[in-house]
Amino acid sequence: MKKDLTRRFFFKKTTTAVIAGGAAVYGVASVPLLKSSELQLRPPGALAEDLFLSSCIKCGQCLQVCPPQVIELAGISSGFGIGTPFIVPQKGACILCKGLPCVLACPTGALDHHISEGKEADMGLAVLSKPDTCLARKGQNDIVFELQELEKSKMPVQVPLTNILSKLISRLTVDEEKIFTQEFNLDSVNKSSISAIAAAISEAQFNWLKQFTAQTKQAEEGCRICLKTCPISSEQPIVFQAESSADSKEDKVIPVVQRTCVGCGVCEEECPTSPPSITIIPRKKWSSNDLQQGVQS
Amino acid sequence: MKGFSQKTNSKLANVMDSAESGSGFSQTNSEIKIKSPKSKKRKGPGLRDVSITENPNRNKWRVIRWTFLLSVNFMFFASFYFDIQILEGSLSGSRLLGFHLADPFAAIQVMLASRVFNINLIIGVTTIVIVYLLIGGRFFCSWVCPYHFLAELGEMTHKQLIQKKIIKRNHVFNGNLKYYFFALFLVLSLLSGYTIFEVINPVSILSRSFVYGVGLIIFWVLALLLFEIFYSRRAWCRYFCPVGVPYNIIGRVAPFKVHWNISKCSNCKKCQRACMVPWVLKNTVNMGAADYIVSGDCTRCGLCLDACEDGALSYNIRYLDKLI
Repeated sequence: MKKDLTRRFFFKKTTTAVIAGGAAVYGVASVPLLKSSELQLRPPGALAEDLFLSSCIKCGQCLQVCPPQVIELAGISSGFGIGTPFIVPQKGACILCKGLPCVLACPTGALDHHISEGKEADMGLAVLSKPDTCLARKGQNDIVFELQELEKSKMPVQVPLTNILSKLISRLTVDEEKIFTQEFNLDSVNKSSISAIAAAISEAQFNWLKQFTAQTKQAEEGCRICLKTCPISSEQPIVFQAESSADSKEDKVIPVVQRTCVGCGVCEEECPTSPPSITIIPRKKWSSNDLQQGVQS
Repeated sequence: MKGFSQKTNSKLANVMDSAESGSGFSQTNSEIKIKSPKSKKRKGPGLRDVSITENPNRNKWRVIRWTFLLSVNFMFFASFYFDIQILEGSLSGSRLLGFHLADPFAAIQVMLASRVFNINLIIGVTTIVIVYLLIGGRFFCSWVCPYHFLAELGEMTHKQLIQKKIIKRNHVFNGNLKYYFFALFLVLSLLSGYTIFEVINPVSILSRSFVYGVGLIIFWVLALLLFEIFYSRRAWCRYFCPVGVPYNIIGRVAPFKVHWNISKCSNCKKCQRACMVPWVLKNTVNMGAADYIVSGDCTRCGLCLDACEDGALSYNIRYLDKLI
């Protein structure tokens, strides 16, 4: 009996030691294993990545208050980053809401409470990653391009066409808008009437729309969507500069990212080309030679 | 459910008794009877006063508790899903009608790892400490924690499997392991600068899954649950969970406790069989050393209240009853 008890005692000691040891091994081994190598775009005000990972309590309150609902929580694939918030601009970009509710909601200061405005955020930096497809560089209008792409895609048109139409109408002159309303027999132009057109558009109407768009005044302008949609466009984070190249028969302009860019990602989301010509490098800080790199890359 | 009512057959009772006494915390019953000076006064097993009727409402507190637990977790879900903004966040950090709440263990890890002491976090932890000082420490575990709910179902399954002899026996560990884990993971947070435990914390994983949807990490929680069902009953909550340690410490001083009325007790030990943590009732019902269940691991779950047929156990407020 006594022998049995000591044996049991011994086993219990061993299992206890094994479990405690296992936890210690996990703790030590996890540090190199669970460090995620790829940086993600964090909500505005996020501290430097290492400090952010240690500060975030993984409660998800930033996600709850996010008005455009673009914040997601990371899974186990991001190691220590599990449960931390991140944003994929192509799915939905941060629009730098007034007052930055996500920053206010953060209970730990992982999203730094010192910033109060979108232009103070430091999420990353936009770069013109695919200058060859950039419509501004080609001098092509974005709505004309989007209508062409939509015709090719054979996808259900209602949602994208609604977006295109509302964009188009907002840029029409008064005379052009009259022509548009006459063609579709509209009393007034509003959201519901536009989506009604988009839902039941015929092939003939679509072709008319294409021709009409190509003849409008704004079709002559090249794409400026990255600057137009930028939430802090007044800060001029993107300027369109004349491109200096050897065989410059045409006047080419190129969007150049400036220091004021905070990397919110709206330009990446809104860029008409697919994949987007302008993308965000998460957590990248501005340095003086980025201006050059932006032109070259 | 019927299998777990107090009419368990004697074989099951024996199996469970032997399993519990192996924990290293409770001594065998025969020893206690000799040691405890008060044991002479007791009526002894089987000598219960016949005038006392059987407790008719055997699941009263369990039903109340589960309703409360599920409502709290539903509030987390509903605050986000239906945007009613009452209890926002998850169990590691949340806001109740705008007031910050933060889980102490997660918050201490964050502070040690980041070496930043954020005022909102301190407010959140202080609020939680005050709340649980009032309602009693590991009250959190059985009344709020979603893992506890799953583990309770797991425990039922485990007991059933033992009864059907599919599993030979329950395995026990040292109940102090959770304190080591608590210290270990705090030291690791400080040294590594990461909240290492939060990666595997089943409480926050489940709470997040409830509110924001399920990820792959849920398989870790399921693995833990299977370990509990097939190897060691309720292992996580009893032996390992460091999240419960701050609540454990708070619970020792919190006055809201289960009161044990020795004069009514017939020493039938049904409460001990019902109790989810084997050593919790040791000091009182076994040893007769205190009027209140003083163990920090008592979750105020009320299972012993439901099990007691003598009306000897009740919720009460320590110190206050002596004052009046």
